[in-house]
This record gives sequence, structure tokens and C-alpha cells, in this order.
Amino acid sequence: MLGLPGLAMALLAVAILSLTTGARAIPYDMVWSAFFSFDPAATEHRIIWDLRLPRTLVGLLVGAALGLAGAVLQGATRNPLADPSILGINSGAALFVVVGVAVFGITQLTTYVWLAFIGAGAAMLVVYSIAALGREGATPIKLALAGAAMTAVMQAIINAILLTSPRTLDEVRFWQVGSLAGRSMDIALQVSPFILAGAALAFLTARLLDGLSMGEDVARSLGQRIGLTRGLAGLAAVILAGAAVSAAGPIAFVGLTVPHVARAITGPSYRWILPYSMLMAPILLLGADVVGRVISPPGEVQVGIVTAFLGAPFFIALVRRRKLAAL
Amino acid sequence: MTILSLETIAIVRRQRLSHARRVTFGLLSALLLACTAAMLLGDFPVPALDVVQSLFSPLTGSANRSVDFIVLQVRLPRLCLALLSGAAFGLSGIIFQTLLRNPLASPDIIGIAHGASAAAVFCIIILGWSGLSVSLGAFAGAMLTALAIYLLAWRNGVTAYRVVLIGIATAAMLSAVISYLFTRARLFEVQQAMAWLVGSLNAARPEDSIVLATMLVLVLPLLLALVRGLDGLELGDDTAYALGTRVEITRLGLMLVGVALAAFATAAVGPVGFVAFVSGPIARRLMGGAGRGVPQAALVGALVMLASDLAAQHALASVQLPTGVVTGGFGAAFLIWLLIASGRSGRVN
Amino acid sequence: MFTRLSTAALVVLLACALPAHAQDWTFTGGDGETVILDARPQRIIAHQDAAAGLIPLGIRPVGIYADSAIEAAKALEGLDLSGIEIIGTAWSEVDIEKAAALEPDLIVAEWWDRNSAWSGGADIARTLSPLAPITGVAASNSIVGMIEDYEALAASLGADLDAPAIAADKAAFETARAAFEAATAAKPDLKAVAVYAGNDAIYFADPAGAAELLDLQSWGLDLITPGGVDSAGNNYFETVSWENADKYPTDLILVDNRSAATLETALAQPTWTLNPGAAAGQVADWPAFWLRNYAAYARELAKLTEVIDAADASVVP
Repeated sequence: MLGLPGLAMALLAVAILSLTTGARAIPYDMVWSAFFSFDPAATEHRIIWDLRLPRTLVGLLVGAALGLAGAVLQGATRNPLADPSILGINSGAALFVVVGVAVFGITQLTTYVWLAFIGAGAAMLVVYSIAALGREGATPIKLALAGAAMTAVMQAIINAILLTSPRTLDEVRFWQVGSLAGRSMDIALQVSPFILAGAALAFLTARLLDGLSMGEDVARSLGQRIGLTRGLAGLAAVILAGAAVSAAGPIAFVGLTVPHVARAITGPSYRWILPYSMLMAPILLLGADVVGRVISPPGEVQVGIVTAFLGAPFFIALVRRRKLAAL
Repeated sequence: MTILSLETIAIVRRQRLSHARRVTFGLLSALLLACTAAMLLGDFPVPALDVVQSLFSPLTGSANRSVDFIVLQVRLPRLCLALLSGAAFGLSGIIFQTLLRNPLASPDIIGIAHGASAAAVFCIIILGWSGLSVSLGAFAGAMLTALAIYLLAWRNGVTAYRVVLIGIATAAMLSAVISYLFTRARLFEVQQAMAWLVGSLNAARPEDSIVLATMLVLVLPLLLALVRGLDGLELGDDTAYALGTRVEITRLGLMLVGVALAAFATAAVGPVGFVAFVSGPIARRLMGGAGRGVPQAALVGALVMLASDLAAQHALASVQLPTGVVTGGFGAAFLIWLLIASGRSGRVN
Repeated sequence: MFTRLSTAALVVLLACALPAHAQDWTFTGGDGETVILDARPQRIIAHQDAAAGLIPLGIRPVGIYADSAIEAAKALEGLDLSGIEIIGTAWSEVDIEKAAALEPDLIVAEWWDRNSAWSGGADIARTLSPLAPITGVAASNSIVGMIEDYEALAASLGADLDAPAIAADKAAFETARAAFEAATAAKPDLKAVAVYAGNDAIYFADPAGAAELLDLQSWGLDLITPGGVDSAGNNYFETVSWENADKYPTDLILVDNRSAATLETALAQPTWTLNPGAAAGQVADWPAFWLRNYAAYARELAKLTEVIDAADASVVP
């Protein structure tokens, strides 16, 4: 049994691994002394503080945000497929970033953050409204396909811009992979208030999500306002997923797979699923990032690619194993 | 009583048939109109009479070299390729949408187009290929991806649900492959790959249409033989099982035809988005229960492709957009229309 | 295909019939093929880079196809394009009917030996080739060499290379080059490296992959060749994590200036200043891959010379 303390220890271990692993070989005692006897003249110390620490912090924040966002979305929609990437949040963010770079000449990651954030929210709103129309509401398959279809539409617009603006293409191709490299402390500071607020909101909805998981009729008979629950949870998810994609670019499948694993360990209560997801997702994300850093020296493989290749097979196995419709 | 109801049935059947005929006739007229526009419109001004003259010039002897070039080497091949690839996308879309019982489950959503794309991008960026070899690579990529999705979804048979979910997961993984290759390439190679990914009729040659037409002629008999099986499959997996194991073979055969059509069309013009997706639902709406709408979907596909290409060429005077960009916009418009219409009727189908 | 064959047949016929015709025009392109026309071509459609080579020499194409929106095409910066039809604004996408309506006698692009392709996209050359023969200079190991090739092409097309404006451009370039050579000669210990900066990594350029860097090297600039590159195999950047931004410590860093964003990205990296040259602010523009005429070259050289003159050549011990 892992338990929350066990997960916290594992997360700490991955964070330490993330601080000590990288393209530049830095001995452990140097990492140690960077924190406890910092010398601004020592290159290794600067690298720990300027690169690895922000990267690790962004990884922790983004991972926690993705895990929580996925869990809350799945609970609110009662849909096992609800993942930021599948619901079109990532392509919405990408679309706004592309427009920002191409039309307004924006080049800095810290500005991307705001664009991506707004784009993510807009896309999520559109996808959900499309799926929710009709008598049967936002069924899993309608959400998944509406998201996939909107993703295709937005990708087409993105393509039109990228084709006529190689400069935008050159900028955006590196953003669109999803990466923790080059993220500064500014970005961690920029997104952390949103992630903290989103996380607080997510935990507030945990009890409501539990009510909802018994079925809409039961929840309603218990006096719960379904629309309000969905609205609050949706808001939390958009804030979290929007902050995550704005900080690290689109990262697929972390938000989708981690809550399923959490649910398999904890059972159906969101009061447990949420904290488990919040700790497990950054373990996966930072772990994938560390793998990406060492897998093809001297270059790095971006974390978004590593997570897709870890996440998709897992998800396929999950689909093969059981019918996911029941949540 | 019995006689009356039999008469009613006969009348209903006749009405349906005539409705189907009307739809088909309407689509054909629209296509004819679009074809005429495609032959007459262009930045190289050619009088209508000269276009007609030029079309018959292989029989009557060459009249005007530059006009013949525009009509016979530019407009006609482009028109033919639009019609053929559009019809192939439309057929492929409606086959998947019917098989998987979901109006959104077209090959450009459930991973088959992504397989072609990832393979093509690999050929362009890593192998440095261009032209026909990229098309062949894309074709192989589409077929292999479809095979992988089918095998992964197989568990005592395949269910529509599993195919869709596994298709989407596969699509995400293949997208990651494309993103990765994009970060590892020089900018002009990425541009070359992007141009292919968006899909264009710009470089249409007469040979392309001939190859695609040949492939379609080879696949069509199989489709005609299997298309009746769609009725049984549409009832749902359980019913289909009850009807026997022949169903599985029919389904496999239809999927093969659907994949082959999508793969041929993608190899010819690139993964032009949304033609496969929109054709089936539009055809079904037009038919309004008067039939499966399979041939009508082919007509709709051809019409969407041709209309999108016309818009791509002539909508903005200063910018020439690749066809694939416009079909994406068309898909968005359709999605909104579907949304409004289904909000009223309470169903998305 | 048919049209092209008949044109070729016609050309061969003409060539046989009138072997010494005074108005014959021939040019051997970078692809090694010789184009023979019965008259000097007047109406030219050019790829953006070829246009950037020809326009300053007085040869104005009737149409240009670019790899991007025209205002984003760095090579065409500062050139007068009035009256020239733009027939393409995306890679591999060209309006064939507009091209045909321009009735071109000749298509001019650049030949990339490494990819065995004409610049602008493989499909474009194939699409345009039925309209007129395609030729052009080869992308080579020296921008000066390429400009000289453009001079030869322009002269054969009827340009007057002794015209005052053209001669002035060339003289300005020679002055700028002499100043650059004097600047590098004055600082023999100055070490430099050319980079592209992305958010994910810093890319060190192999001079062998960029003609203007080879030029600068031949004029005395000590440019570093990074490891792990293979210029023959299309891979002439070494990708290095920002953790190792000081892998090649130099006095001077040249940053790819195709986009102003690249330098902004570099400056935003906390480890950018690990490299002593960057820490000392000794950073200059690298006019990467886009120079095609003397005027632009002179401008870029003057900027470089200014930085080198002001640089401290001993920030790297």
C-alpha cells in the first residue's frame, strides 16, 4: 500500500533526481552545496538555481495541475475520457499562442502563458457546449469526439498561419511539443497562484463530485445543484489545465491516466482520488522529464513526447481491460 | 385493410425512392455547377468558348497552346483530383461512421489520417523523400495504423467503442511523433512537411487522377458487395453477433475498404481535413431516412472538396491557401450547424 | 510533360537549324543542365532568394514566389518590389494560373545540391516547369561566389553591371570587406561562434553549413566548429542543453538574425551569460542563410566590424 506519505516520499525522490540529473554532470555534493553554501561565482550552482530548480518546480506545479484537472474533469463529466488534451484545451491554447506569435509578434514564454491560458478556457467552453447539447447530454463519446473534432478544426487554422509564416512555425514547433526545458522561475511564479487557486477549488468540489458519482438523480435528490457542481469543477479544471499548458505547452495523457491509477488504488471517493492524483501526476511528469533528459544524449527528448509514449499504451491497455463508461 | 397497408407501403417506398432520386439529382446538379466554375474561373482569363474548344482539342487538334495548357494541364487535372479524392474521403467517412455508429468517427479523427501523416513526415524529414515516394509512405502508414488499431481493439471481436477510444489514443501518440520530428528538422524540411500535412491540390497532375481512379475502380466492387452488410452492423454489436460470425468478416471487409479509400485519397492529396467527417452526416440529413446515403456521401465529398478548393483559390486575391485549410474551416462551420440543428431536434446524428 | 517535350524538341530543332544564331541564349544552371532559348529571356519568374540576387543587379522579375508572406521574407528586405506580381506566399504553394498569365520565358530558383532540389519546394519546380525552363545558380560555399554567379546570370540576361548604382553597391561592399578584414587582423586572438537560440536548447552552427560563415572565416574571423555535426549529411547544428551554454567559450557570439526573436530568446536564458562573450555583451548579428546581394552584405559586414572593433579579444583566456 502506497499511501499518501509514501507518495510524498516518492515525489521528493523524483524531485531530487530532477535536481541532480541533466546534460551537465554535476556531482551530488555540488548540488548539496548549491543549496546550503551558495556561491554565485560557481557555474554549477547557477545551473542548479537558474535551470534545474525552476524546471523542477514547474514540473511539480504542472504535474499536480494536470493530475487534479484530469480527476476533476472526469468526475464532473462522469467521463473517463475527460483529459485536457482530448477536450481540445491544448489546441485552444496552441491556437492563441500561434496567433499571438504570428499577428502580435510575441516571442517570450512568459507572454505565451497568458495567451495559452485564455485559449484553453475558450476551447474548453466550446467543446463542452457542443457535447452537452442534445437530449443525452455530454456523454463520454460525444465529449471525446467533439474535442477531437474541435482539435482538428483548430489545427487547420494553426496550419494556415504556420504555412505562411515560417518564423511562427520556427517558434511554435518547440512550444507545441510540451517541454519543461528553458522554463524560468518567472513562469513558476506566474502560474503558481492560478494552480493554487485551482487546486483549492478542486478540493472544495471533492464532496460534490462524490455526490455526482452516485448518479445525477441521486445527487439531485440529496439536494445538490448539479449545474453548480459542474460549473465549479469545470472552472477548477480550466484554471488548472490552462495554467499547466501555458507553463509547459501541451502535455498529453498525464491528466488522463493518473486519475485512473489513483482510482484503482483508492476506490471511487474523490476526497482520496484528488490528493493521490495531485501527488502521482508530478511523479510521472518529472520522471518522464528525467528520462527525456538522459535518453538521447547530448540532446533531450521533450517531456510531452515521453509522456505520450508512456501514457498512450497505458490507456490502450486500460480500454482493452474494462468498459470505461461507468464512473 | 391488408390491401390498404400494402398500398401505403408501396407509396412510402416510392416516395423514399423518389426522394433519394431528388437528392442525388440535386447533388449532381450542384457538382456540375461547381465543375463549370472550376473550369471557367482562374487567374489566367480564358473565355468560356475557348475552354470548351480546348477540352475537345485532343480530338480537333491543338488550338492555342497556352489556353490548352491551362485547361488541360492545370484546371482539368485539379478538378478530377478534387472529385476523385473527395468522393473517396466521403465514402471512407460514411463507412466508418456507420460501422462505428457515431457521426464523428471518421478516419481523420480516429487515427488513420495521423498514421499517414506521421509516416509522410518521417519520409520527408528523416529520409529526405519527396513526391511519389512520400505518397507511398503515407499509404503504408495509414494501412499499418488501421491494422494496429484493429488488432489492439480486438478482444473476442471488436466493438465500436474500443475502436474509437484506441483510435484516439493512437492519434495522440502519432501526433507526438510528428511534433518530435518537427523539433529535429531544419526549418525548410518542416515547411515541406507542413505543406504536405495541410493537403493541397496545387500540384495536381493528370497522372495523379489516373492512379487514384484506377485504385477506386479496384476497390468499388468490394464495397458494392459488402455495402448491404452495413444494415446488420448498424443495429449494434449484440444484434450483429446474433446474426452470426459472417458479420465479423463483413465488418473487417468494410473497414478494409474504408481504410483503403482514405489511404488512397490521402496519398494523392495529403490528409485534407474534414471532408471524410462532414460528407456522411450531410448526406444522411439530406436523405432524411430515405436510405443509407452511401453514394450520396461520395457526391457530397466530391462537392465539399471541389467547393473548398474553389474557395481556396479564389476567396482571397492575394493569398493562395492550400485546400486543406479551407476544408478545416468548412468542418468548423458544419460542426456549429450540427450543434444548432441537434439542439433543436435533441439528437446528434 | 507533353508541352515540355515539344518545347525541348523545338529548341533542339532550332539549335540545329541555326547553330550560330546571334540571339541564342544559353545558361548552365547550378544543376548542371544547360538551358538554351532562341532569344534572351525577358519575362522571369523568380524564387525569393533568386529575386534578391537579381533585382539589385537591374534584372526585375515579373513574378516572385516566396516561402512566406512577403513582408516576412528576410532576403527581400529593403528591395523595391513594385510592379512585381507575387504568385506564392507559402512553401510549395504557387498560383500556377497567375504564373501562366505572366507568360514567363524563364524560371529562376536556387539549386540545392545537397537535396538535389530547387529552392522553394520540390513541387513548385515541377508545377512551374511546363511554363518555362528552370535554371539558377547553385547554393555554394560562398555568398560572394553566389553573388558573382548572379552577376554572370544577370549579365547574360542583359544587365549593365557597370551602371553607377550597381558599381556603387559593389564598391561599398569592397570597402566593408576591407574594414572587416582589418578588424579581424587587428584582433587575431578573437574567437567567435555562431548560434541559434531556442527556448529548449542552444544550437551551435558549423561554419561549413553556412556560406556567409565560410566567407567570414576566409576574411580572418576565427569561428569555432562544434562537435557532433555532419555538414555533408544535412546536420550542421550541434544541439546543446542550456546547462552547457558555455560548451564553446568565445569572445564573440553571432546570433541568427532571421528573426529578432532569436536574440530575445537568448537574452532571456539565465545561462546565456555563462559564455564569457555573452557576459561581456559581445554579441552580433549572424545574417544566417539569407544574404544574396552586395548592398545587404555591406550593411551586415559594417555592423559586424563595429562590434569586432569594440570587442575585447581576451574575455576568453
